[in-house]
Amino acid sequence: MTGILSIRDLRKTYDDGFEALKGVSLDLEKGEILALLGPNGAGKTTLISAVCGLINPTGGSVSVGGHDIDTDFRAARSMIGLVPQEVALEPFETVWNTVRFSRGLFGKPRNDALIQKILTQLSLWDKKDNQVKELSGGMKRRVLIAKALAHEPRVLFLDEPTAGVDVALRKGMWDVVAEMKADGVTIILTTHYIEEAEAIADRIGVIAKGELLLVEEKATLMTRMGRKQLEVQLDQPLKAIPEALSDYELELAEDGRTLIYSYDTRAERTGITALLNDIAGAGLKLRDVQTRQSSLEDIFVSLVEGEDA
Amino acid sequence: MNLTAIASIYRFEMTRFFRTLLQSFLSPVLSTSLYFVVFGAAIGSRIDQVEGVSYGAFIVPGLVMLSVMTQALSNASFGIYFPKFIGTIYELLTAPVSFLEIVIGYVGAAATKALFIGTVILITSTFFVDLTIAHPFAMVLFLLLTCLSFALFGFIIGIWAKNFEQLQLVPLLIVTPLVFLGGSFYSISMLPPFWQTVTHFNPVLYLISGFRWSFFGVADVPIGISLAAIALFTALCLGVIWWIFKTGWRLRG
Ligand SMILES: Nc1ncnc2c1ncn2[C@@H]1O[C@H](COP(=O)(O)OP(=O)(O)O)[C@@H](O)[C@H]1O
Ligand SMILES: [Mg+2]
Repeated sequence: MTGILSIRDLRKTYDDGFEALKGVSLDLEKGEILALLGPNGAGKTTLISAVCGLINPTGGSVSVGGHDIDTDFRAARSMIGLVPQEVALEPFETVWNTVRFSRGLFGKPRNDALIQKILTQLSLWDKKDNQVKELSGGMKRRVLIAKALAHEPRVLFLDEPTAGVDVALRKGMWDVVAEMKADGVTIILTTHYIEEAEAIADRIGVIAKGELLLVEEKATLMTRMGRKQLEVQLDQPLKAIPEALSDYELELAEDGRTLIYSYDTRAERTGITALLNDIAGAGLKLRDVQTRQSSLEDIFVSLVEGEDA
Repeated sequence: MNLTAIASIYRFEMTRFFRTLLQSFLSPVLSTSLYFVVFGAAIGSRIDQVEGVSYGAFIVPGLVMLSVMTQALSNASFGIYFPKFIGTIYELLTAPVSFLEIVIGYVGAAATKALFIGTVILITSTFFVDLTIAHPFAMVLFLLLTCLSFALFGFIIGIWAKNFEQLQLVPLLIVTPLVFLGGSFYSISMLPPFWQTVTHFNPVLYLISGFRWSFFGVADVPIGISLAAIALFTALCLGVIWWIFKTGWRLRG
């Protein structure tokens, strides 16, 4: 085990009595990327804030690299980098000074070469002498990332880093993330873009109403919950599913032209061949056939809705 | 002790000051000159001497104290309030720094600025009046302690304030009146007995009196009491700051 972050039964009840975290436990390995998915108000930011020292947890414990965030806060925090959800930057300061300040604040000796490398990586080098207020929204967000990277964290929290950032820049950010992962940095990110989680995460955590519903390898999650659907488009609309096909788990789309067959990808026999034979046998003419794998989004929605029920 | 962090906070705060250096420098020079023109010329022509000191020279310690107190207070309160207001406080709270280190960085920077402005005013006033300093060591000590204690007080206000109105309320409604009524521009012996008694409840009196003593050797209250008063005020501020540190009051939710 090369565990780097360990969260045990973390709880947070806000002053107004609202229970935002109801005992969250989570372990992360060195160099892995965890995507934390959850609807607005699920407690993602609260979880990150409690780990990073922005709020005092009501209960539970957290350790980073074996250092408790409370009793050994210096060692623990010096390993953590945070890119907050809201852009917050000193407007009149230059990009260079702002990033350099972050490194100093974390007690690291001056290292201009490193800061130059980070700014270049984030396409901010030519803006280094500009005041922060002169930058666009996407650039400001990258300055936040540069600040978080300036002290060479081993664990990086990215709280919705791509909200409001255009697609091209998002891509650039994920390149940086991939590079950090290659350096062994552990990354926890929250996002609303499920494709993003799907594309870059090793594990996916789903959080809703202050509870971590599951944390699983992305691939496992996809196959465990992944159902595939075969959509058969018919030449002529149907009013009902023919008697001859009543043995199959079929749905008829509203327009009557599409039969939807759901099956389990892990099953020994998917039953597709037999179904297609029987459709032909029932005298139906096919127009087109396609399959669809349920995406993380479907899985996510079904999980969170299941929680609501 | 995370010395690098303290230095970083201090430097970052001071760059804000240097960005507006001309303004930081010119405004005390200008306001001091105006005070001399208005008070020195207008009132000084009627009041010849106060306690054996020419009126122009007599108001110098009060002028310096007035600026040092308000500058230390507003710089320190703004210095910590601004990150709270724009949200950059997140970085301070997630950094491996203790509350004490944050205080040293911010209060140190605010005290430095106040000291700078106090010095500028002192130098400016030598162009208008003849100034001799009877107890230079005591003068520097009073100046430093005033910078420090009012910066600490400002830091507390900055943490306490939830909006800009509150931030300006304390300096405006409490500190400025106390400074003006604390004998900055007159000796309290010039007041009727009743108001003399009332003035003794004004803590600022003890600071200005002690500071003035270090220049001219004359004071409204004994110098020992002045020293005790500023020590008490500094201790009180440190106590409140220690309590904020313990409870995370208005910093960590
Ligand atoms: N300071 C606070 N006081 C009271 N409730 C809060 C506070 N901050 C967040 N909450 C509540 O806690 C819940 C979780 O918030 P948050 O962690 O920001 O969710 P997410 O980041 O997943 O959108 C929300 O219902 C939010 O309204
Ligand atoms: Mg959030």
